Amino acid sequence: MNLDDIFDLVSYRIHPEPHIVVDHDTCASCSHRACTFACPARCYEWNEVRGRVDFAYESCLECGTCLLVCDLGALDWNYPAGGYGVRFRAT
Amino acid sequence: MAATEFDAVVVGAGPAGSIAALTLSQKGVKTLLLERGERPGAKNMFGGTLAWCPAPEELIPGFWEKAPWEREVVRRVLTVVAETSATSMVFRSDDVDRPFRGRVTLFRPAFDAWLAAQAQAAGVTVVCGCTVEGLVVCGGRVCGVRVGGSDGVVEAPLVVAGDGALSFLAQEAGLHAGVHAEQMAVGVRALYALEEDEIDGRFGLVRGQGATNEYLGGTEGVRGGGFVYTQTESLSVGLVLHLDSLKTRGFAPYDLLERFVGSVHVAPLLRGAQLVEYSAHLLPEAGLSMVPRLSTSGFLVAGDAGGLCYTNGLTQEGMNLAMTSGHLAGLVGAEALEVGDVSAARLAAYDRRLRESFVLRDLKTYDRAIKLLRRDRLFSDYPEVVGAIMEQLYASDGAPKRRVGSIARGALRDRIPIRETLADLIRIGRSYL
Ligand SMILES: Cc1cc2nc3c(=O)[nH]c(=O)nc-3n(C[C@H](O)[C@H](O)[C@H](O)COP(=O)(O)OP(=O)(O)OC[C@H]3O[C@@H](n4cnc5c(N)ncnc54)[C@H](O)[C@@H]3O)c2cc1C
Ligand code: SF4
Ligand code: SF4
Repeated sequence: MNLDDIFDLVSYRIHPEPHIVVDHDTCASCSHRACTFACPARCYEWNEVRGRVDFAYESCLECGTCLLVCDLGALDWNYPAGGYGVRFRAT
Repeated sequence: MAATEFDAVVVGAGPAGSIAALTLSQKGVKTLLLERGERPGAKNMFGGTLAWCPAPEELIPGFWEKAPWEREVVRRVLTVVAETSATSMVFRSDDVDRPFRGRVTLFRPAFDAWLAAQAQAAGVTVVCGCTVEGLVVCGGRVCGVRVGGSDGVVEAPLVVAGDGALSFLAQEAGLHAGVHAEQMAVGVRALYALEEDEIDGRFGLVRGQGATNEYLGGTEGVRGGGFVYTQTESLSVGLVLHLDSLKTRGFAPYDLLERFVGSVHVAPLLRGAQLVEYSAHLLPEAGLSMVPRLSTSGFLVAGDAGGLCYTNGLTQEGMNLAMTSGHLAGLVGAEALEVGDVSAARLAAYDRRLRESFVLRDLKTYDRAIKLLRRDRLFSDYPEVVGAIMEQLYASDGAPKRRVGSIARGALRDRIPIRETLADLIRIGRSYL
């Protein structure tokens, strides 16, 4: 699945504030960085230059995978405010 | 919202929540149904098929005629995928006797919106675009919910959590300590548009009939499986992947899905079809071991929120369990409200009713199968063994033919110690026989 086109394939109403916040200090000691491959929307990417995960909440599918694969508790994970976020097509 | 305007607040307009709300309202309970999506179903995705169960028909006479489902499943194919071969079992039912007791494919956004509208028509107040952020507790008893945005609070003597697989509410109520990667799978799905006649032709169907193709193996050793389901004018193509296995194997769901979509098993079915959507959602997959107590003072949990969802390797069950548990939650909740006793002791009747119903009985029946499906080998070595046996059975290379047993021993010997094979065979026998 080519996720470069995710915004053509999925409809969102994007909230100005992220609903998930990453604690980068905690990530510094993470051995697997599972969020970077397990997230089905590829929201997490390891940034070699900055030495941290970059997180883009806009394309999040709100599945919860990152919350469960992160065993260091680095994520302050919430659903987006009511009516925001992903909206799957009705037909 | 004014305080104590409602007798019951139901969280989540999925099948569990909408059925619970509908049941409560039909019993005369003033009910509020809160959904975080901009419309019911906007956040919901499944494979998938809905299996017949009595609850919806009891609440909505003519349910199976009226509900917006897509196709009635008559053809089911289970395929074991090996590296260079695939072995399938095809089941086709031409038993057209009525009343209907089968499975239908459907679209969650359309179906869930319709179901919530039935609840609304029965008097439920449905509010969408409202994320519940937590519970309100008074004197050790759940007595309402906190809603998003301002510091809104909705109080009610009864709260029903139908908030899906992650259920933060069941956790906050102390019924479980949070769900884990070992208990959950992630489903990823690509939706393809294709003309109705094309689907009928490719799957050997006539108008209105549906097919399901399920695949075991072919996920690079990640525990899980693939599916292709027929809707009226579209195909759902996806994978269900155990999170702990995905994590240790280090694969990305979209890469595995891309391979699946491009495989010889799936690609021909999709020729000329147009990719129209991509989605992902969690499913509880740990069976009884993850089902907590589902009631406490002022609080009931239904559907995925209670871990009531499983696959036994042959069928995936979730929506039917959600609707049935939602129904029982509504019944027990209404009775408790009527006598003015929503104590934990009183609401424990819900857990009892669930144990008597097919919901917890089926989970118990297939408990061993659910555990069996957590064995890595089932998704890596065994599909290869099946492939190797079939290759040799059908081979014609000039060498004298061997019996199946001898071929099987040969195919197994290279991969799995005999002792472990025997142990696995016993496990498989115990799971299904
Ligand atoms: C890929 C895949 C394939 C599946 N295949 C099948 C199948 O073939 N057959 C089958 O029967 N089942 C299948 N299932 C399982 C089935 O989808 C679930 O069991 C079913 O949806 C559970 O219903 P529910 O009402 O409990 O939860 P959900 O359908 O998840 O509904 C929960 C609702 O609560 C809302 N919500 C959550 N939190 C909040 C909050 N804090 N505030 C307000 N609203 C909230 C959500 O937006 C949602 O509308 C599949 C699932 C997946 C992911
Ligand atoms: S979010 Fe969790 S899994 Fe991802 S890098 Fe940070 S600690 Fe690791
Ligand atoms: S919730 Fe799912 S889609 Fe969103 S960031 Fe986490 S893993 Fe990715």
